[in-house]
Amino acid sequence: MLGTVAPLQANLSTVLVQIVILSSLYALVALGFTLIFGVGGVLNLAHGANITIGAFVAFVVSSQMGYGGFVGLAAAFVLTGLLSGAYYLGLIKRIQDEPIMVMIITLVTAVAVEEVIRFVYGSQPKVLTLLSGRVNIGGSTVTFTQLVAFALSALLIVGMFAFVNYTRQGKALLATSMSHKGAALVGIEANRINLLVWVGAGALAGAAGVFLGSIQGASWAMGRAPLVLSFSIVVLGGIGSIRGSVLGAFVVGTLEILTVQYVDSSLTGLTPLLVLVAVLLLRPEGLFGRELVEA
Amino acid sequence: MDSDEGTTRGRQVKRRRFLEATGAGVAGVTLAGCVSTGGDDGGGGDGGSTGDTDSGGGTTTGTASGGSLPDTVSIGVLAPEPSSNPIGASIANAAELAVTQLNEEGSGPEFEVSVKDTREQPDEGRSKYRELTIGEEVDMTTGIFTSEVLLAVLDDIANQQTVHMTTGAATPEASARVRDDYESYKYHFRTGPLNAYQLGVNMIDFLEAKQSDLGWESVAVLVEDYEWTKPVSQALDDEIDRAGVEVAMQERYASGTENFTPIYDQVESSDADAALIAMAHTGTPAVVQWAKQQRPFEFGGIHVPMQLPSYYEATSGACNFGVTQNSATPQSEVTEKTVPFSEAYNEQYDSYPVYTGYITFDAVKQYADVVQQAGSVEADAVVSGLEESSFLGTAGTIEYYPPDNEFAHDVVYEEGKVDPVFQQWQDGNQEVIYPDDLTTADYQKPSWL
Amino acid sequence: MSEDTASGRITEEGGRSLPSVPGRYVVGIVGLLLLALLPLLANMELGLGVPGVFVFVVDDLFLLHLTTALYFGMFAMSWDTVSGYTGQISFGHGLFFAVGAYTSALLNLGYGIDPILSIPAGIVLAAVAGIVIGVPALRLRGPYLSLVTLVAPLILLQLFIFRSDVFGGELGLRNPENFLGFGVNDAAIVYYIALGLFVAIMALLLVVTRSDAGRVFTAIREDEDAVSSVGINPAKFKIFAFVLSAAIGGLAGAMYVHTPVGGPTPTELMSTTVNVEVIIAAVLGGMGTIVGAAIGGIFVGIVPQLLDSSGWIIPGFLPVVGGTPVADIDFLIFAVITLFLLYVLPGGILRAVIRNGRRVRNSRRGDDGVATDGGQSERVFTRVLRGWREKRRGDDDE
Repeated sequence: MLGTVAPLQANLSTVLVQIVILSSLYALVALGFTLIFGVGGVLNLAHGANITIGAFVAFVVSSQMGYGGFVGLAAAFVLTGLLSGAYYLGLIKRIQDEPIMVMIITLVTAVAVEEVIRFVYGSQPKVLTLLSGRVNIGGSTVTFTQLVAFALSALLIVGMFAFVNYTRQGKALLATSMSHKGAALVGIEANRINLLVWVGAGALAGAAGVFLGSIQGASWAMGRAPLVLSFSIVVLGGIGSIRGSVLGAFVVGTLEILTVQYVDSSLTGLTPLLVLVAVLLLRPEGLFGRELVEA
Repeated sequence: MDSDEGTTRGRQVKRRRFLEATGAGVAGVTLAGCVSTGGDDGGGGDGGSTGDTDSGGGTTTGTASGGSLPDTVSIGVLAPEPSSNPIGASIANAAELAVTQLNEEGSGPEFEVSVKDTREQPDEGRSKYRELTIGEEVDMTTGIFTSEVLLAVLDDIANQQTVHMTTGAATPEASARVRDDYESYKYHFRTGPLNAYQLGVNMIDFLEAKQSDLGWESVAVLVEDYEWTKPVSQALDDEIDRAGVEVAMQERYASGTENFTPIYDQVESSDADAALIAMAHTGTPAVVQWAKQQRPFEFGGIHVPMQLPSYYEATSGACNFGVTQNSATPQSEVTEKTVPFSEAYNEQYDSYPVYTGYITFDAVKQYADVVQQAGSVEADAVVSGLEESSFLGTAGTIEYYPPDNEFAHDVVYEEGKVDPVFQQWQDGNQEVIYPDDLTTADYQKPSWL
Repeated sequence: MSEDTASGRITEEGGRSLPSVPGRYVVGIVGLLLLALLPLLANMELGLGVPGVFVFVVDDLFLLHLTTALYFGMFAMSWDTVSGYTGQISFGHGLFFAVGAYTSALLNLGYGIDPILSIPAGIVLAAVAGIVIGVPALRLRGPYLSLVTLVAPLILLQLFIFRSDVFGGELGLRNPENFLGFGVNDAAIVYYIALGLFVAIMALLLVVTRSDAGRVFTAIREDEDAVSSVGINPAKFKIFAFVLSAAIGGLAGAMYVHTPVGGPTPTELMSTTVNVEVIIAAVLGGMGTIVGAAIGGIFVGIVPQLLDSSGWIIPGFLPVVGGTPVADIDFLIFAVITLFLLYVLPGGILRAVIRNGRRVRNSRRGDDGVATDGGQSERVFTRVLRGWREKRRGDDDE
């Protein structure tokens, strides 16, 4: 009888390592989305598409053209950032004050990107190679790729904190995120800030795509789950807050790992979503955020 | 004629597009829903069998070449995205290849084929099925990869009373309906793959037979939690005792799982020698993380994406050492017809077929054989013809379970009839490791073990 | 469709329009008559007048295709009721179709309850789902609500898979009985039932949205605070819109699975594709108009079939897609066209026609829309468009 096998429970250190590795990846995935949401006040539903584009740029550069994993990562970072910036200038800029329009347009864009990728690269998943090798940390196996993702994620988060708090541009960005009008009054050009944010968010999404493509495989629909994930993280953490989003990522990551380890792995998909809905109902401003001022 | 044009066009386009598609290494299992199939039928054994090509069983006396046969027999093919998905392309191309060969032999009536794209959507499948049966009035239909689509058209098959030979979907629901309501659903046959329950049984048979080579004393059963794996799990539950392996852990993990680290950590701490798997949707992240994390256990079972010849390249070799059930691989001589078919296919379409190709080729050839034996394309005659047919195909000797069987009208799974192979990816090749008379290589442990 | 586009040209001078075409009603009635008479044209070839282009034969298969398209039109109308009017964009409207459809199918399959009774049960449960989604709408604004709608069908799908013994998981349920027993062989009747339902839903929604309630919906979209400030409780109306929309979606979903063209499967009812296609349909036709969504729905439903049978191939000189059958990438084409329309003609093909019509009606009846914008109930897109044009005239924004 199979049913009699008792569930195995991993020890604490293993679980902690799993949580940290997964959550930092999630934070990386959600950062770009947070940025745009926080500063521009709009939801970029093409965030998942950026992730997909990043993965496929890296696939073309590193696998098809043979330049190796890190060149692919750099190319994904740069190209996706540029594309995202161009997308902002071309389509989003003139409707950035209409959140609904932005949602619809980015949603339709996401669909179009998916279809193009499926058409060009087919429906079979591709796997990127960034680094090979792995180590055992605290009873859990961690690949070097995951470690790089962790390091990069930490670096970017710290970097963004520093940028926002200690640079002129960053302060302007922060000001814009708080109030467009206020920022305008003190001479901050919201459009330049927004452009910067879209480029940065695209670049981050592109990099996240490379890691996802390397850890899970890249396919035309790979952007959907990260989009929902980012959405959840941002809402959990609270709008416009980098710290909140990082915490949100850890909440989601922790829930997922704990469900697998201690509850039932067939519920992993469901738990974070249910928690999310509960948070929305009980504390709509998110766990760590401020209230949404303007819809 | 509208339909004729459609067919021709479809054919040309498909060929060329398929080249591109394969070049880019397309395919397989997508979130959108390839699920359904587990594996496929495959290597029948040793030629032994009674399956001389045109036995066809007695059916009717009207043998002589088609007294009452129409001049042209038309075959409708339902394939998912034949222009971009190797599984669909194999269905479509194999049917065309079979028809081309039949017409070249020129003994019987002229065969023609009409291909429609189901897009893996049930509503689309239903509507294309009707275009074929009501609109073009084809004499039989074949194909259908996803179980969701097959279930959606079953009622139509009963309504249209047109023989359908499934060549991809594995849901046992179809055969259950044939058994429960034979008069309505008798037109459905499954030429392959094995139904999902027998896929599980087949895994146990493999474990039992290869235990000494594999050296798996305990296994962790990892099955993705989708409807299609339910019968597989059931079969494993029922029969794993005889495989002589200990079950160290058993997990039906969530649909859509992408992070396997915690699950694999559990497998490791359970000290299982191997993960015994049933995966389609989640197969790629599972095998990639197993390989990249160099997990200290082996990995095998049913892994749908791994069955595709282009998978090694697509995953940059991450599937190396993975074991999966599969139909005939291109070089395995499941029967004397296997290699000639895969070579002819490769010559024509510049790529090797995936398992649906072998099955579809067999379905069309068997149908043609039965029709010529029966001297009629009339559905009832064909149904009883197929029921009695024993046909040597590329994937084994194709026979169907009788109407009162639990798996009515499913292909018979038996040594010497249809008996799937198990393959291991070894440095870019799909090497057959089971059954013994077909092996092309010995099983290898992953290099990091 | 072509007449509409032709008359869809408008001048955009401060929202002033050309003298209105009496066309709106005429076109609508002619269109419905055409749909009603279609089955009588059995086996005639129809086309756009150009030989060899888009010629199709009205046969049973075509009627069945059109039936599917009609149901899709109903889905789009249901979406438009809540999203187009109140501006609460739903990214997961498939939830309601699925709740209605699965409820009815399960009752019919499991307990042998006739569709006549099981369909109303589906409507009720869908309406309940509407309340479940609508109540958060009281507290949530903008993106938060959209997140709920995005996540809700995912939760439902996870539940379906988790309890696949009941819901059939990703493979769906078997087909329930046909409504009144009409199957493939009664294509014309199946079609007329769909058309009747389509017209009834459209009439109902038109009445509601053109009533005071409808004006409050629009006002909520434009400025919720303004609505509150005149003593109307927007929450009540939002819930009402959600429940109405959900019930209609549930009705359409439930009826759909009892036809020979539909079945209770996740792919057909609640996949991402369905959720997005509904939005695309409504946007193409014109959000917040009901009629536009209905036409957009039929369009999105039937055009892929026509493209498929047309056998058109994209000219080979185009990069990447050249040489592909048009039908292979129809979803991509729709997406691109939608983007293009949002860019140059925001609000959909029919916007101008509808808007002209509404103006005419308003002035005739002498009642203005809710005064959110200079006494004229102006549509979001119009405002956006005007905004763009002003921006283009030189001054930098903000």
